[in-house]
Amino acid sequence: MTARLLAQAGVRESVRAYWFWLNAGIFVAGGLLLMLFGQVDVSLLGYRSYGRALAGLMQLALFVVPLMALLSSGAAIAGARETGALDYLLAQPVTREEVFAGKWLGVTAAVVASLVVGYGATGAVAAVKGVPALPIAMLLLFTVVLAAAFVSIGLWVSALSSTRGRATSVVFTLWLAFLALGSLGLMAAFVRWGLPAGVLQIWSLVNPVEAFRLAMIALLEADPGLLGPAGAALIDNLGRTGLIAAASGSLAAWTALAYWAGRRAFTSAT
Amino acid sequence: MITGVGLGKSYGEQRVFGDLDFHIEAGERVALLGLNGAGKTTLFRCLLALTDFEGELRVAGETVTPGRKEVRRRIGYVPQQAPLYDMTLTEFVAFFSALRGVAMDGPASTLAALGMPLEETGGKALNELSGGMVQKALLGLALGSGSSVLLLDEPTANLDPGARRDLFRRVREIAAETTLLFASHRLDEIELLADRVLVLHGGGLAFDGTLEELWRATDAAPRLWLSAPPHEVERVAAELRECPAVSDLRANGAGVEVDVRGDASLDLLLEVRQRGLPVTEFRTRPPSLEHVLDQLERHGDGSPAPVDASTADGGGS
Repeated sequence: MTARLLAQAGVRESVRAYWFWLNAGIFVAGGLLLMLFGQVDVSLLGYRSYGRALAGLMQLALFVVPLMALLSSGAAIAGARETGALDYLLAQPVTREEVFAGKWLGVTAAVVASLVVGYGATGAVAAVKGVPALPIAMLLLFTVVLAAAFVSIGLWVSALSSTRGRATSVVFTLWLAFLALGSLGLMAAFVRWGLPAGVLQIWSLVNPVEAFRLAMIALLEADPGLLGPAGAALIDNLGRTGLIAAASGSLAAWTALAYWAGRRAFTSAT
Repeated sequence: MITGVGLGKSYGEQRVFGDLDFHIEAGERVALLGLNGAGKTTLFRCLLALTDFEGELRVAGETVTPGRKEVRRRIGYVPQQAPLYDMTLTEFVAFFSALRGVAMDGPASTLAALGMPLEETGGKALNELSGGMVQKALLGLALGSGSSVLLLDEPTANLDPGARRDLFRRVREIAAETTLLFASHRLDEIELLADRVLVLHGGGLAFDGTLEELWRATDAAPRLWLSAPPHEVERVAAELRECPAVSDLRANGAGVEVDVRGDASLDLLLEVRQRGLPVTEFRTRPPSLEHVLDQLERHGDGSPAPVDASTADGGGS
């Protein structure tokens, strides 16, 4: 009940924030452009006929969703702490656990709402163009899981940060690190230091951005060559379903573990 | 209503206070006096179960357990810093009423009694309201949600004198039956609102008694402020220096502030009349907090020691 009230307040607050509309706008604009102009012969890229547009959407999500989730969740606790709103809230009959849960639900719901607006517009155009709804629904579902993982990570940072500015700088650095340590960064490390192939594969699954990318390429039944060497090795070892399951598990684990760590940091503060 | 036994709190190596024993009866209005950093806010955090502590605390029949929220249903809290929420006043009241599990009617009618009916001000964003209005909104929420204890943590710190007086007048009117504990480092505020004073100083409770008892225990007679026309201030000051009732005085362009010896305030005023001094207005002002705390420290061996008003001056509290 309390967490729900806090979540509702969080959603209201988020919907009034500029980033909510920016996020939705990027997805509406990006999705529509990709659907209208991206659905051409795509044999060169190795996707199915509608796959190019979906791959574009996936790339869009890969860059935008983690950043939006991190920025909004990073500010959620540290920002309230800075303005005195958190102290006042905690002086009410609420527990720190409820406040943390409410913040998580509120930010996640707002991010998901902006994604639904964006993907909804894309889906409508896609339906008119004859693209099956299932791939778009799967893309939305995985994007939501990706967002949830990064909301947990951002709230963890926020719980440990004394100011909004500090939280924002940390989450921005994390975002860059996750992107940089994607396939290209890993390949460079692999070549430079001769890392074992197993490490490369495990890291591909541990990095939530890379896990999302691999899961989506596998879901879209794209050419395995697009997976990169680590992804190709993983699909060889685990199979397509196994790769999707492992990547989903990685994202779920990030969501749960970062949530647990953030809640622990927040509730142990006295 | 509020009882602390052996209450202590440290942050790591830093001891904030220790061995505090106090009891506040239902309906009492008690000021918690202390310099910045004395531990007033920390004591409030203990009462609100927001931090761990040593000893025992009971509020309105509930044992305070750090981290547990039950006791906060009984406590209304008004902080020093008005919290910034991106909400209208109506949304703010609705949200916090729901969190406290009460209907919105109570806070809304209290706000109306405070001169802020939601029908008129409810549509305004919180950040559009003045500091005084936000503090009134917090007060309305605290009192209108059925709290039996009201904690005010320097609620007027950021208000101008007019807004400060208005807020205290409203508190006196509306919170007549509520147990009140308010933190302050301003002695003039305490005079306006408190039945009793707890002085938190040097890591302990340095005084527990009424304001009159505090003045007597610390030889701190109130100061008198005498207004005079600007061109007469120097003459008034010079004549007052000759009065035996005056121990010290300070003049500025608008008048003279006088430290009076003992209970000689009336003697001084009679002397002003006899001398025909052109005094246009007089007011009493409380002694400075620094003087009071300094005197409390001197009661012991130089270190702050608990002073019981009943033994300090023969009175009781």
